[in-house]
Amino acid sequence: MTTTPTQADRPSRRHSVPTGGQLSKHPMRTVSLRNLRAHKVRLALTLISVLLGTAFVAGSFVFTDTLKKSFNAIFETSDKGIDARVQPTHGYVAGVPIGLLPTIEHVNGVRAVEPVIGASMILVDDHGKRVDTGGAPSHGAAWQPNNRIGETPQMISGHAPTKAGEVVINDGAAKKYNLTAGEHVKLVTQNAPITNATIVGIYHVSYDTGGYLGALLSRDQAMSLFTDGKHYDAVNVAAQAGVSEDTITARIAKVLPAGLEAKTGTQVRDDDTGGVTTALSFITYILLGFGIVALLVGTFIIYNTFSMIVAQRQRELALLRAVGADRRQVRRSVTREALIVGVLGSALGLAGGLGLAYGLHALLDALDLGLPSGGLVMSTRTVLISIILGTVVTVFAASAPARRAGRIAPVAAMREEFASPSAAGLRRRTAIGVVVAVAGAAATVAGVANDSAGPAALFIAAGLVAVCAATMLLSPVFARWVIAPLGRVVGRPFGIVGRLARTNAVRNPRRTAATAFALTLGLVLVAGIAVIGASWKASLDKLFENNVTADYILTTDYNVNVPVAAAQAARKVPGVASVTELQDMMASVDGSVKESTAITGPITSVMNVDMDAGSVSTSGHRMIVSRTYADDHQWTMGTKHTLEVPGVKPITVTVTGIYADDQLIGPWAVGGDVYRALTPTNRWADFVTLVHAKPGADLEQVRNGLKNVTNDFYVVDVRDRSEFQGYIASQINGLLGLLYGLLGLAIVIAILGIINTQALSVIERRREIGMLRAVAMQRKQVRRTVYLESLLIAVFGAFLGVSIGLTFGSLFARTLRDQGLDTLSVPWGQALLFLGMAAVVGVLAALWPGFRAARTPPLSAIAEG
Amino acid sequence: MVRDPPERKARGMTRSSTMTSVQPSVSAARAVDLVKSYGSGPTAVRALDHVDVELRRGEFTAIMGPSGSGKSTLMHCLAGLDSVTSGSVWIGALELRGLSDKKMTALRRDRIGFVFQSFNLVPTLTALENITLPIAIAGRRPDQQWLNTVIDTLGLRDRLHHRPSELSGGQQQRVAVGRALASRPEIVFGDEPTGNLDSRSSNEVLGILRHSVDRLGQTVVVVTHDPHAASYADRVLFLNDGRIVDELRSPTAESVLDRMKGLES
Repeated sequence: MTTTPTQADRPSRRHSVPTGGQLSKHPMRTVSLRNLRAHKVRLALTLISVLLGTAFVAGSFVFTDTLKKSFNAIFETSDKGIDARVQPTHGYVAGVPIGLLPTIEHVNGVRAVEPVIGASMILVDDHGKRVDTGGAPSHGAAWQPNNRIGETPQMISGHAPTKAGEVVINDGAAKKYNLTAGEHVKLVTQNAPITNATIVGIYHVSYDTGGYLGALLSRDQAMSLFTDGKHYDAVNVAAQAGVSEDTITARIAKVLPAGLEAKTGTQVRDDDTGGVTTALSFITYILLGFGIVALLVGTFIIYNTFSMIVAQRQRELALLRAVGADRRQVRRSVTREALIVGVLGSALGLAGGLGLAYGLHALLDALDLGLPSGGLVMSTRTVLISIILGTVVTVFAASAPARRAGRIAPVAAMREEFASPSAAGLRRRTAIGVVVAVAGAAATVAGVANDSAGPAALFIAAGLVAVCAATMLLSPVFARWVIAPLGRVVGRPFGIVGRLARTNAVRNPRRTAATAFALTLGLVLVAGIAVIGASWKASLDKLFENNVTADYILTTDYNVNVPVAAAQAARKVPGVASVTELQDMMASVDGSVKESTAITGPITSVMNVDMDAGSVSTSGHRMIVSRTYADDHQWTMGTKHTLEVPGVKPITVTVTGIYADDQLIGPWAVGGDVYRALTPTNRWADFVTLVHAKPGADLEQVRNGLKNVTNDFYVVDVRDRSEFQGYIASQINGLLGLLYGLLGLAIVIAILGIINTQALSVIERRREIGMLRAVAMQRKQVRRTVYLESLLIAVFGAFLGVSIGLTFGSLFARTLRDQGLDTLSVPWGQALLFLGMAAVVGVLAALWPGFRAARTPPLSAIAEG
Repeated sequence: MVRDPPERKARGMTRSSTMTSVQPSVSAARAVDLVKSYGSGPTAVRALDHVDVELRRGEFTAIMGPSGSGKSTLMHCLAGLDSVTSGSVWIGALELRGLSDKKMTALRRDRIGFVFQSFNLVPTLTALENITLPIAIAGRRPDQQWLNTVIDTLGLRDRLHHRPSELSGGQQQRVAVGRALASRPEIVFGDEPTGNLDSRSSNEVLGILRHSVDRLGQTVVVVTHDPHAASYADRVLFLNDGRIVDELRSPTAESVLDRMKGLES
């Protein structure tokens, strides 16, 4: 074992003793493998924690790769044949002037040109019901009669739209939304009046995706519904054979006026794919984030499991040392076990990741987000990263226990009891913890003292990481401080059972600390998000309470804004005093692209705007600016600024008012006249429409009136102030729900950790439990002791997590005060709920270990095994 | 070598049939035709082979025998720690057969005391807490006067608030004896209670057990392989191959040793 026999020795050895049933050439490896086999249950739980972490990491990669590949395939098809595209440089540019089409067509090497005409459009079926595509696009476009670029839609029934009032639908949508040829529908677009049409045919394209609704109209009708009649959205170009993409694009670029650009077909496809994948990338980042959190939490469980296995195998390992294994061999045998668990766990995690990606895809499909279907993509990178990450984390987590195993003295083989970890080690750990805590506190204070949001958040984040690390180091000490009083209160009704549970919980503070810390980490995030979410809601509430005085608020939930016609209709409702429209204003201001707000209508009747200087009016060519924006850009009362949009006469406005920062209005605002002069008519729309009722008007009547007139637009929601607040809160809750759901994973892993620790503790205390059973204890009482112990550990971990989470959540919320998060709200009720849930989780995690403990025969007090 | 087994058996049977529910019998524990086998079929090992035994109140009984004779198994069966294959066991007038785990636990808790070879104290509790543990688990308050008597007998008054790790082996075992006596059980069983102790500590522990019989009227049964320990008893039962093969009254270490030599030869 320790000395390798020379080659010459070997044959004689083999001959001298029978080889069957002997240890192999690698006795330590055999010991590792047999040991893994002997402890299946405890290793299964460790395996699961590795598996869950890697599954999320692998799942995020697989999901992203799959989406990228699928969308690539889609745009390869739908954008097929496009060698160049002419498009506006910025969103505020009206589009490609109709008159430019022949110019492009005459560029040397152009084979065909095809204008892009289309926009978001809602379809209303013949029952008067909106066709709700969920997250998938609902889109209207022009039927290209003489399609010479890309794939021509194939009519599978009926005929192509030839005149106004005719529309054809893709077969996927027809099937999914029960649309049939001959059906009378209404077409709802942002600005055009609601249009009646009849479905005259169903078509098919190869790049259809789940939930997507594509309505095609005659070109003239598409022009009138989706454009201002003077511009196309873009123009696709096909080159003649032998003319490269780059060549044709460069040639076209030369004939384009300002505000337009030419892109190659490859760029177009990349942009289209990129746009979609960026929109979905947040899912990837969230998955990846939670995978990493899960692995981090898993680290503690792996550490704990290996520590306990080493402690329980102390005599066996000492025996190995006594018969000649050296430190390194013993250490390696533990590391080898970790390696096997790591590789196996991450391999299973990889498979789990595939399942996760598949499930997520199915879920998003069920939600009709319009995802393409296609085989899952498992790239080499995914495999490598997942396996390496899972294995490295496992081996790293097991390295301290492995070192400890190597330090076991051979004489320990003769000892009865498990050696408890030295107090000296704990003192050093505590000392390091205090240093890290001080550093964390310093970073946090530096962050709080910093006035600009970015650096402040960075400092606080560094502080949070340090404080979490310090908590991990100090939690053996905290365990005594927190669990002792907590155990006294919780354990009191249970008498001696409570006392035993409490003392057991702090019996091995390191183990308790590692077990609890898994839960701590999860709850830091949960509690932190809870504070930010609550503060966000409170801030919006306050913003609303203080700033918005409108009686009714009109918005839409769709990809279209409130049509200006809806605001016009609202003005005529009896009892309405005034209607104020807030619109997205985009233009080049003094030479650089800016985005803010235009105000149509009286502002003071629907909002409180706190003026620092001048007046709030934006009529004519006046502009109002927020205090911060004015200071940052040296804009003052009376400065003049030029708003430019290509193809339109520039407008110069004068700053006539400076207001205290306002979330709703944004950095600056101009009047509706400027908006309408600079914005193409087909884009006119309100992101919010505010209604002020006449004093003394019957509000119910006003509401009904508003509902009646907006019903005709199908997409507009009418809400009073409190309804609107509830609506905003529900939107935030939806987002928080998603985050909580994913954080649930970290909690699940923490639960696995508690199960693992408690199960191993029960094995370790078999003799003691046997004695308790022998002298006095009912099974029920044994179970109760284990439950209570677990509850105390869980609540302890949750308490640390909630405390840190609330503190740092509040500090992060504070750094966002300039972004509108100006009201801090600490959800104390929710925090208590988390602690209560931790208690429940603790008991649930102890069910199985408690059951096993209760089954310990009394004779275990006497006999081993 | 078995002394008048038919008569003993008959006496036992009569008493049980007439007195079970009437008044406490003079026997603290009793086994009738007790068989305990491990495994089944041809590989079965019979640890106890039709054993009849009666342990009288207020007596200190030692059970002796060579390794594998079944002495520990007999004690485990008598104490309700292990199930029996056939035959019956009584604690006082209560037959153990068919008792639920719950009732069996309550029986052990309220009517039986245990002293184990390896002390088996709860390391997180103090000496006093360990002594009162079974009473606390039962949810009762200890009888203070009795507790004081026990503590004085143990000689542990100045050690009551120490943890087991702060006590010597002898002191730990005295705490274990205290735990066994604290609830005034009908019978105290000791499984090699001095097996892990040096001779001075052994004498202390055995002296306490003897004292508890003489002064406090306790019934004590210990399993031991140490003739010196057995010499503290009123009566020694010898087991060999799962049967009671001999009995000795008022033993001395020498007389016990003689009998043991006789057994082994």
